[in-house]
Amino acid sequence: MEPDLSVELRKLRLSAPVMPAAGTFGFGEEYAELYEPASFLGALVTKTLTLRPRQGNPQPRLWETPCGLLNSIGLENPGLSAFVEEIFPRLLRFRLPIVVSVYGENAEEYGELGRCIPREAAGLELNLSCPNLPGKPAVLSAEEIFSRVAAAREAWPGELWAKISPEGDWLSAAQAAEEAGADAVVATNTFRGMALDLERRAPVFANVVAGLSGPAIKPLCLRIVYELCRVLRIPVIGCGGIKSGRDALEFILAGAHAVQVGTANFFDPLAIPRILQEMRDWLKKEGLKGLEEVRGCAQKR
Amino acid sequence: MAGLAFRQAPVLDQREVRRGVFVLRVGGEFSAKPGQFFILRAWELYPLLGRPMSVFDLSPDSLSFAYAVRGEGTRALSRLRPGDVLWLLGPLGNGWTRAEGKVALVGGGIGLAPLLFTAKVFGPPLDLFLGFRDEPFLLEEFPDFARVHVASERGGPPGVFQGLVSEMFEPQGYAAVYACGPRAMLEALYQKCRQARVPLYVSLEERLACGIGACLGCTIFTKKGPARLCREGPVFLAEEIFHGA
Repeated sequence: MEPDLSVELRKLRLSAPVMPAAGTFGFGEEYAELYEPASFLGALVTKTLTLRPRQGNPQPRLWETPCGLLNSIGLENPGLSAFVEEIFPRLLRFRLPIVVSVYGENAEEYGELGRCIPREAAGLELNLSCPNLPGKPAVLSAEEIFSRVAAAREAWPGELWAKISPEGDWLSAAQAAEEAGADAVVATNTFRGMALDLERRAPVFANVVAGLSGPAIKPLCLRIVYELCRVLRIPVIGCGGIKSGRDALEFILAGAHAVQVGTANFFDPLAIPRILQEMRDWLKKEGLKGLEEVRGCAQKR
Repeated sequence: MAGLAFRQAPVLDQREVRRGVFVLRVGGEFSAKPGQFFILRAWELYPLLGRPMSVFDLSPDSLSFAYAVRGEGTRALSRLRPGDVLWLLGPLGNGWTRAEGKVALVGGGIGLAPLLFTAKVFGPPLDLFLGFRDEPFLLEEFPDFARVHVASERGGPPGVFQGLVSEMFEPQGYAAVYACGPRAMLEALYQKCRQARVPLYVSLEERLACGIGACLGCTIFTKKGPARLCREGPVFLAEEIFHGA
């Protein structure tokens, strides 16, 4: 018997527990040239949108580290209206839940984004943790998280996720998101890191710091997810360095409902279909009917 | 992008044509346009990403890449031997399209990599201008119909221009110029082509992650707005990138 890989979230059912991390998958149209998204993705999480178009940061935007990747994209995106008018209608042909990632500079902007995102979208993911915006904080206080999530909650009736930073007081940040009405917490975004150019005697990136992702950060994010799952009542969606079915299952064992895959898409463009298959194979091998049988089972009571 | 695929292919052979410069040939039936590239990967997690390589040559049953060893990725590729297997993602990028009439292809150093396949597909009338820091390499690969003009900063036997390829090259009389090489060479060529009113198409390089246009890691700012080097590029009309002197 095929194991059941579906996931029940508060207002949304995913047919699979794996989805792309925002910003690593564009709007899905490029990867759709390689595989059918609806056959493998629990949801399509879009590139983060802002109210107005952003051209993002200058080159260089990428720097490899051992088992990791520093990025400084800076939220390049076409802006809310171009998304609503041109891009979103095209995405409906994928026939899978679309979760729209958004970033605002303050609570009012999150409210406006929540009001303007098409109601046919399956969910809204609040990017509360972008490390790559010149002059803007990468890590928000619990109070700032609360006001932003509350503003989006008032404006958006559907499934609402809060994507938090792995830095600072992430536990208070996640609790603030829960209290403000988030339906799930996505843990986590990238860590701030940097690279220096010895010959130029200067930082590699114009914005000095950049976000570190990739397999290097998996143990750090796994621990955060494990701790969050002990205290939150809402589901946690794990994200950070997942490259295999076993990595994804570790997050489920820690208590996550579902996972997001980011950097792995870059070194294996078929990462998501492969990870889903590896999860299915493992459940079968262990004689398990579904993820419920293992979710959170690694928690010490 | 017709025929985009992520697939494995066996190494047929690899030769070091000069110290640190390799030609790697893999087996299989591939398709590509001149100026397009593939991302090659032949390792587990280090380095994290594959390496973009333009198509050096294409035959009905093989695909070749010419590259210089620059870092960990190209070093790992240089160690591949016949029978080893690597992963390829491609074909990627826009490539370049032949203008009518006589055209010039200009390459600097390993920037000659995309020009062999381009010359073969473009066909005559066509002239080649290749610049090197010292010893030229891979000249013998180019088809007989193309006149190859060689520049070397160190000089060489009679017929070799001593200096930069951008000093040797004169764009007058060409319908279009196609160039790949160091940024300074491309900018110098642009000043000449702009004055001669000859369109110049340049193939650019940046660090890439996904290679298919999703991650926006390779976006550059052109005069027409942001452009993904891996998708709207790597070939751009020089006047959209560079400023006049």
